[in-house]
Amino acid sequence: MAARLLLRSAVRAAATCRAAPVPALTRGMAAGGIPTDEEQATGMEKKIMDAMKEGKDPYSMLKPKSYAGSKADPHLVPSITNKRIVGCVCEEDNTAVIWFWLHEGEAQRCPSCGSHYKLVAHELPH
Amino acid sequence: MAHQAHAYHMVDPSPWPLTGAVAALLLTSGLAIWFHFHSTILLTLGLVLLLLTMYQWWRDIVREGTFQGHHTPPVQKGLRFGMILFITSEVFFFLGFFWAFYHSSLAPTPELGGCWPPTGITTLDPFEVPLLNTAVLLASGVTVTWAHHSIMEGERKQAIHSLTLTILLGFYFTFLQAMEYYEAPFTIADGVYGATFFVATGFHGLHVIIGSTFLAVCLLRQIQYHFTSEHHFGFEAAAWYWHFVDVVWLFLYISIYWWGS
Repeated sequence: MAARLLLRSAVRAAATCRAAPVPALTRGMAAGGIPTDEEQATGMEKKIMDAMKEGKDPYSMLKPKSYAGSKADPHLVPSITNKRIVGCVCEEDNTAVIWFWLHEGEAQRCPSCGSHYKLVAHELPH
Repeated sequence: MAHQAHAYHMVDPSPWPLTGAVAALLLTSGLAIWFHFHSTILLTLGLVLLLLTMYQWWRDIVREGTFQGHHTPPVQKGLRFGMILFITSEVFFFLGFFWAFYHSSLAPTPELGGCWPPTGITTLDPFEVPLLNTAVLLASGVTVTWAHHSIMEGERKQAIHSLTLTILLGFYFTFLQAMEYYEAPFTIADGVYGATFFVATGFHGLHVIIGSTFLAVCLLRQIQYHFTSEHHFGFEAAAWYWHFVDVVWLFLYISIYWWGS
């Protein structure tokens, strides 16, 4: 009886799939005792950290991308609603900024220099 | 949770700016009342209110940043600029006292005997306690850098030890300087020499005490796991301030203690 139990447990042990050993933690609380942002960041800081890891920028922290402004390559303007104000500095160093509302739908053109602008939906995490 | 489309921190309404302003009013008027009518009640009230304001305002900032996560990268950048601008303003503050010292010492008037140090002043030997003080502060600059690297590398025990050492060195400086003040053969009333010496070194000593307090708060926060290996600006601000205090001492030592002796 004991021998059978031993055999059974031996078979079970031999058949167990050994998961890959947990990688030795080299940072954070398990290592030196100081937490990392990964372990401890919270709130907005954590949301931004997680989004940046996926290459996203939900809170528009980075410089807007640069576009040609032509019909084929319009300036893409992210917006959390269906319209946004655009201020076009038609030529570098112009002091008169051309302001206009950009609505969703077809691309609009700056009334002064004719650059194309298109509203695109921008998702906010919530 | 957040319904804002930006990464900045719009702070909640707070009473501490008002209590701070009231404290400023009580301190200034209290000073005048003490000078003219020998009463310290307003001054004391002002001091208590100031301490309460500082404690609660900074406690709220720790809550907002560490516990609520409002200190995003752009917010942290703003805090960095803020600290740099503040330290710059303090540099200008000390610049004034160095200006006063050099004004008086580069062209000593006949009333002083036409010489610097003025006639009758026995200066402190720059190679005795002042030199020790220099070594103490320089060493504390090393230990605070050690603490910073420990935090960045996730070494909790070393961070606590080196930060404690930094604070102890700060206390040692203050103790030595207090002894020097007690034993000095001249006082603040001893002409322009005494005035420039004690006002410049006195304000420096006050800044050492402020810096030590800032570092002590960082030590308590580090013990309570507030800092992460990437985000620990409170500590960096304290370290910047401490290096500033050290540099001011070096200028004081070279100008007043050494050249001026």
